[in-house]
Amino acid sequence: MSDTSPFDHRPDAELGRHLRDALAAPDGGAFVRRVMASADRAYGETLPGQWLGVLTSWARPGLVAAMLVVAALAFWAGLEVGRSEPVAGFATLADPLSDDSSRADVPALLAEREAPNVDIILAAAMRD
Amino acid sequence: MQDAELAALAQAGDREAFGELVQRYAGQARRVARAVIGDPNDADDAAQDGFLAALRHLGRFDPSRPFGPWLLRIVANAAADRRRRQRVRATEPLAPQLAESGPAPDKAADVAALHTALRQALQALPERQRLAIVLFDVEGYSHREIAEILDVPEGTVRSDVFHGRRTLRERLGTWNDWKNED
Repeated sequence: MSDTSPFDHRPDAELGRHLRDALAAPDGGAFVRRVMASADRAYGETLPGQWLGVLTSWARPGLVAAMLVVAALAFWAGLEVGRSEPVAGFATLADPLSDDSSRADVPALLAEREAPNVDIILAAAMRD
Repeated sequence: MQDAELAALAQAGDREAFGELVQRYAGQARRVARAVIGDPNDADDAAQDGFLAALRHLGRFDPSRPFGPWLLRIVANAAADRRRRQRVRATEPLAPQLAESGPAPDKAADVAALHTALRQALQALPERQRLAIVLFDVEGYSHREIAEILDVPEGTVRSDVFHGRRTLRERLGTWNDWKNED
């Protein structure tokens, strides 16, 4: 042991060297192999810290798949709506034009007491 | 590759990265464990426990801080736990030079006897002093790092190193005399 003061803030090199030798354990390679054999068993299970990684790895393809499904459903719904008959609420200008019963002349329209239907006015204007 | 990078890879499941960390710190971990537990086989078991506990808790490691103190804290705790569980442990036979207060050890005393004497002197210290001495004088950690490892104030580490060294010098007085005569 060196004669440095016990208050010395520096490591005692000589004491350190002797203690290192005294505490030295043989066959470091065997120890590393032994630890790794145990670690392999731990790696065989899912490490707690890896759950987040697993979930993260699932999240990205999951989100992409969900977006694709939503897009496909929206496209299919769009096609279905296009194929279906127009409902009453969505009557078009074709209705008054093709409907003879709703035909009205301009003079007749002028004589009406109630406000005429906009579609009928437009139909009458387009016919003339 | 830096320890923090290896730790991140090991946590992500890279076995080789963990193996590299074990290679780097096996010596330190075994010495620290042996400072706590005298028996070398038990110390290796404790060091292994420490490495596996570190592997399981790599997610708690702060990569902005050094890996060594974090690992050695786990190893020291694992060794202390194992020692508490065992209670009864094998003791090395006293080195004859220290068992008697007679003449100074023969100059021809082999290195093994000196090491045995050192281990005995170390084992006679309180556990925290042992760790402080080994971490400071053997492993070269700073007082601040040792304070983190042992979870005590830095002043306590300085005090432990001081008292530990003093006790070691007293106990190894015969060896010092022998050395000075050399």
